[in-house]
Amino acid sequence: MKIKAEKVEEQIKAKLHESSDIKSRAVKFFGCNVIIMYIADITDNKLLNDTVIYPITSYTRRVAGDKYAALRDKVLSSIELNELDIDGATDKLLHGHTLVIVDDAPKILTADMEKITVRAIAEPPNNLVIKGPREGFNESLKYNLALIRRRVKSDDLVIKNLELGKLTKTQISVLYFDSVADKKIVSEIVDKLNKIDIDGVVDSHYLISYLQKNPHSLFKQVGDTEKPDILLGKMLEGRIGILVDGTPIALTLPFIIIEDLQNSDDYYGQPIHVALVRILRLVGVVIAVLLPGIYIALEIYHYKIIPLSFLVTIMNTTQGIPFSPFVEVIFVILLFEILYEANLRMPQYLGIATSIVGALILGETAVNAGLVSPPTVMIVALSGITFYIIPSQAGQFSVLRALACLVGACLGIYGILLFCVYILAYLSSFDSYNSAYLAPTAPYIARDQKDFMMRATIDEMTNRPRSIANNRNNLRRRGK
Amino acid sequence: MKINYRQTCILIFLSQIALKFLALPSLLYTKSESNSIFVALALMILDGVYAFFILNMAEISGEKNIYEFLKSCLGTVVSKIFLALLLIKFALSMANISKGLEFFVVDNLYNELSWFAYILPLAALIGYMIYKGIRNIARVGEIVCWFVLVGIIFITAKSFANAEPESFLPLFKDGLKPLMESGFKYSSWFGSSTFLLMLFGKVDFKNKKKSQLIRYLLLAILLVQFVYYVFYGVFQITSPTHNFCLSDLSQFSSLHTSIEELSWLVVALWIVAQAVQLALYGYCFQQALKYIFNIKNNVWPTLVVMLYVFTLSVVGDLTIGLEQIFLSPAVSVITICTQYILPIIVIVAGKIRYKNKKPPKQAEQHSLVEDSTKPAHEKKGA
Repeated sequence: MKIKAEKVEEQIKAKLHESSDIKSRAVKFFGCNVIIMYIADITDNKLLNDTVIYPITSYTRRVAGDKYAALRDKVLSSIELNELDIDGATDKLLHGHTLVIVDDAPKILTADMEKITVRAIAEPPNNLVIKGPREGFNESLKYNLALIRRRVKSDDLVIKNLELGKLTKTQISVLYFDSVADKKIVSEIVDKLNKIDIDGVVDSHYLISYLQKNPHSLFKQVGDTEKPDILLGKMLEGRIGILVDGTPIALTLPFIIIEDLQNSDDYYGQPIHVALVRILRLVGVVIAVLLPGIYIALEIYHYKIIPLSFLVTIMNTTQGIPFSPFVEVIFVILLFEILYEANLRMPQYLGIATSIVGALILGETAVNAGLVSPPTVMIVALSGITFYIIPSQAGQFSVLRALACLVGACLGIYGILLFCVYILAYLSSFDSYNSAYLAPTAPYIARDQKDFMMRATIDEMTNRPRSIANNRNNLRRRGK
Repeated sequence: MKINYRQTCILIFLSQIALKFLALPSLLYTKSESNSIFVALALMILDGVYAFFILNMAEISGEKNIYEFLKSCLGTVVSKIFLALLLIKFALSMANISKGLEFFVVDNLYNELSWFAYILPLAALIGYMIYKGIRNIARVGEIVCWFVLVGIIFITAKSFANAEPESFLPLFKDGLKPLMESGFKYSSWFGSSTFLLMLFGKVDFKNKKKSQLIRYLLLAILLVQFVYYVFYGVFQITSPTHNFCLSDLSQFSSLHTSIEELSWLVVALWIVAQAVQLALYGYCFQQALKYIFNIKNNVWPTLVVMLYVFTLSVVGDLTIGLEQIFLSPAVSVITICTQYILPIIVIVAGKIRYKNKKPPKQAEQHSLVEDSTKPAHEKKGA
């Protein structure tokens, strides 16, 4: 069936509700009407002029017979063209393609002319490293895929593209190594993604609740990173990466809790130092979550446990404080959280001022006014700082800390211990895509201890971790 | 859901040490004085031997749970009687642990804490762990066991220098009779391998290493012997007055450092081990209930276990009441019967029923959940 260019143009415009940014330009090609349609803001005008408009208007050789075929095979042969019907062409138009509609042609020609305006590739603020690559993902899926492709020259890398969101039609790429990833998990993830019924995917975090097995759980079940080297490292262990257009955050699955205790820096430093740092991180987690709760418990129930000299100090400083230890700690925590939130969203020059006002003036004044005691400020500040040893978990630590304070106030040390066992029992009970959440500790996997608290040298880590459900090809490299 | 062999060994380790650091050392001393250390040694070795045989039979039984196994050997009625006796044993063990825990928490750790505040969170935790199954309990045990081990060694080592070896001499001055009597009377505190009967069909024997079991058993025996040596060496004839071995040891130390009081926190860690142990026996209790009454779901038996834990704390003057029950000859007979005679019957019946059957080779075994972290090709043995 032959098409009429003007009619098709009208149909497409009507389909897109006469949107103002849809531009069209009519040209003649040896007496034949040709309409070029594009969306102005997402089309590369220079490319359009150089590769489509100029070749058509300046073509001088004689064309006899089929004009459409001449355009396709001769005039526009330098660019990759698709031949589509009206629906397909409209879809492509929305993705930044230019449509070339020729009178009496069987199809519409489309060419990718998308103009990508993106943030420069920079070091992501959440994954700063002292040594190691500093490149981070940006908001363009194409650029992000290029960052991965540049690092992998193997035919083993598989990239599966999907489109999600009824209105946004967001491009999503699922990445994995064919010989490493568990195919069942890959198909499970792809199936889940395909089944997502959502109007729009604004960020990769929109997908998380569809991918995690316990959507209402407090604990993180999907890994994320903004760095291609980390994504690649995780994929080499058998994980599957998900990149979403419009966001620099890549998701990784399966996720186990130890991942957040590890940092890309760890693999570029000395193993002994790395072990020390990882132990410090773990201690930091314990301090962040439990210290205020333990302090409350000791002050209310178990002051006998506190060494005498320290107890005297505490008693001297807490005398005259109008609040109970629990209220006092919660008050300081609230103050801290408010300051943090305000600091985060304020312009940078104001943020510094807020830090000074918050930390020095407010804290000092609260202590001098006798509202809170210095040990409480110190304990909460210590806990607050250690939160950011693992920034990606800060949100859940905050909730756990509040719970620990509550339990400490109600039940003392006994309650805090039971609280810890409950958390352990809870975490022990769920798996992320066949990978035990607490692995390689519970269940204990001897081989994976090479990259747990202690890290072996790279040449000693000859196998992929068993903590992650990877399918085959377990031997990573030969040792020395 | 299955647990792996290492996790089973860790559960045995925790079970071996669970009741040993409460009132047991002081109770044993009343009968057999400092030679009690040998009573503990002998009974723990016996428990270890039982663990070996029971695990061997569990391996032979393959995918059968204890009820199916007993039914195939002894018939339905006898199986249910066996399970009812085991139910009593687990109920007694739970009562024993709960009693010790309550004594420590309510009387030692706090000036005053209502039983309500003590038991409600504990019952909820136990219920949750039991509901989630043996894999959950095993994984928690796997994490906490090392903290508990280090904590106990830390507390005991502090007082090691104060222990006087001469206080153990002369050995066996009244012969072996007091030791036998002591072993009989306090048998409820031993028998820590009986729970393995309820793990039939729930243990993955793939990657089994017999040395692993020996290592964990040895570790438990050495730990208990070490603590008892220090305890009797330090407290000597006053041992019967020290009702809670670990906390009393933690308070008795010639070291006067600013962190001395922190050993209390380490003692508190021991609560965690007790909670896991309570959950383990609770799980066995729940399983026995399910088999006896043919209950398919987990909810009702779990609620019964929670109610039982709750009741243990509510009923009368718990500390004195249960103490008397545990020390009665009738209970000793029941515990000896369930701990030592029942497993022998199970093992002998199993040997007769499956006399030509050997533990299946690794490749023949089904894929097991706990090793789900292994690559699929390894699971299938391909």
